[in-house]
Amino acid sequence: MRLSQPLSPLIVTPCLLLVLLAGIASAAIGGSTFALTLTDLFNAVLGDAQNLAAQLVLGDAQNLAAQLVLTIRLPRVLIAATVGAALALAGTLMQGITRNPLASPALFGLNAGAGCLLVLVQTGLLPVPLPLMLATALGAALAGGLVLMLGGGLQGRIHPVRVVLAGVAVTALLTAMTRSLLILDEQAQAVVDWLSGSLVDADWHHWQQLWPWVLPAGLATLWLAQPLNLLALGEEMAAGLGVSPRRLRLQASLLVVILAATSVAVTGPIAFVGLLVPHLGRALVGSDHRVLLPLVAVLGAALMVWADLLSRLLVFPAETPVGLVTALIGAPCFLWLAARQRGAS
Amino acid sequence: MYPRLTFWLLPALLLVAALSGLLLGSLDWRTVQASSADIVTDLRLSRVLLAILAGAGLGLSGALTQAVVRNPLASPDLIGVTAGAGLAATTLMLLWPDLAFGWLIPAAIIGALLAVLVMLALVGRGTLNPSRLVLVGIALSSWLAALTDWLLVSHPQKVNMALVWLTGSLWGRGWDHVWILLPWLLVLVPLALMLSLRLDLLALGDEAAEGLGANVRRSRLLALLLAVAMAAVSVAVCGAISFVGLVAPHLARLLVGGAHHRLLPVTAMVGALLVLVSDIAARTLLAPIELPAGVLTALIGAPYFLFLLTRYRGW
Repeated sequence: MRLSQPLSPLIVTPCLLLVLLAGIASAAIGGSTFALTLTDLFNAVLGDAQNLAAQLVLGDAQNLAAQLVLTIRLPRVLIAATVGAALALAGTLMQGITRNPLASPALFGLNAGAGCLLVLVQTGLLPVPLPLMLATALGAALAGGLVLMLGGGLQGRIHPVRVVLAGVAVTALLTAMTRSLLILDEQAQAVVDWLSGSLVDADWHHWQQLWPWVLPAGLATLWLAQPLNLLALGEEMAAGLGVSPRRLRLQASLLVVILAATSVAVTGPIAFVGLLVPHLGRALVGSDHRVLLPLVAVLGAALMVWADLLSRLLVFPAETPVGLVTALIGAPCFLWLAARQRGAS
Repeated sequence: MYPRLTFWLLPALLLVAALSGLLLGSLDWRTVQASSADIVTDLRLSRVLLAILAGAGLGLSGALTQAVVRNPLASPDLIGVTAGAGLAATTLMLLWPDLAFGWLIPAAIIGALLAVLVMLALVGRGTLNPSRLVLVGIALSSWLAALTDWLLVSHPQKVNMALVWLTGSLWGRGWDHVWILLPWLLVLVPLALMLSLRLDLLALGDEAAEGLGANVRRSRLLALLLAVAMAAVSVAVCGAISFVGLVAPHLARLLVGGAHHRLLPVTAMVGALLVLVSDIAARTLLAPIELPAGVLTALIGAPYFLFLLTRYRGW
């Protein structure tokens, strides 16, 4: 899949931004389960584009189509893009600090841990009242730490296969707990939908929960780009060049936990974006993190927006959870990576 | 290693568990007697039998898989067999609901076989590196599971079935399920037991086994086929009850050691006991709410798997 020569980021980034914009536009006007036909909606929005722009600024909508776009579609698209970018950045950071091509929030149990603690808090079974974001962050950190420890982190060398097995088992355990909690709460449909990640009831309120965490954390990743490049040369080399591998790992882990946990809190665990996107990004522009990190954020956002659109169109009147769409796209990629992995080496 | 004690104790335990499966439930025994005997014979007896059959099938499948792959971490869940069978069975039930019920098991077997073939093709011939096999198996399983989820979600009117299939449960299973499962296991289990000598030879290593006159390739293929078939028939009826195929052989090995003529029957009994007890607990712990049995087996099995992982030294 790797191209013979990395493309110039000057070409790739505008193209990706275009793809992202096209996705946002089509998601905002199409893929509706609302009774309006697509052409109606399209005409309505394009018909008074200036009006719409004014409404965007003023914040009150007059006609139905504009209202639909402003109150339902727009927050949903924004959340999809932000979550996609956050997960992709988290995956890139994890792959950078573990130097394991399979590292990603879903496979290392972060998503499952965040989800489990979130449900614990929401069903009120946890005696201590925690704010949602703190709960998911704590869950993600605990699960991720457990997986790394069981994956051989205690002996100082993380084995690639062992850590994946540990991730699978921890995820199975946490998912079983989450599932039984949700069943006890008698929300059978919610189990299926939420556990596969869904954007169905995304609104402005969620967006306000999301961006104050993801935006600073996302910008902070850029600050780690150069140290990550040095770490890729090897630990001793990095230490010699003035980067403390231990501190870098700690900082990056903190960012990973924030990025993954806030995403899970809003949409539920979404698999494979964090695994797939960094590999795509590296195939496109090579592995310099200064270029890779921003590119991966855009790529992840574009992927999620399109996956969300697809999730609305796949079984048209009904909605497919977006996490399932990303799993359908991303799992073959995992399969390809696993088949390439040289097992016990 | 307590072979004699085990052979006395396990059937007794199984009997006790089966009896308590008949007695316990969301209705207490006195109400049951007062209303009618149908609750016991129609609902509970069939369910107990089904748990025993499916558990034995899953356990044996795990023992055979571990013998073939020669990796204590292998199990039908991890190498994609369960997911393949689940996908095939779900597809059949959702897309062709009018088709005869009896097609369920053949479809599940075909699905599981296809999954194994794809996996072997991806791993590549010759290099049966255990850890790579497991990694590819996990990846394949996750894709097949995503496809299954998608099928279930796109048919939302069958959400109860979805809950059964996603984690494995004996909810709503009855005598017709027993009758389609029983004949298959009556054929497959004796076949598996007949393989035990060959499996003992395989455990010595390929060269030693060849030297002692075993056809390694054929034994391995046969054992793998049987493992796939047994996991598939169990999954076709109860959904993917996870970790039984992994845990049962290990417990059995602790009890009677690694000789397969003892290990295989004990594994079958341990597997049956695990599923039966999980199912009883699932429907009585929080009655009248019913948990999927697969959730309980995962709660027991996943920590055990992690424990095995920290002990395993063969990377």
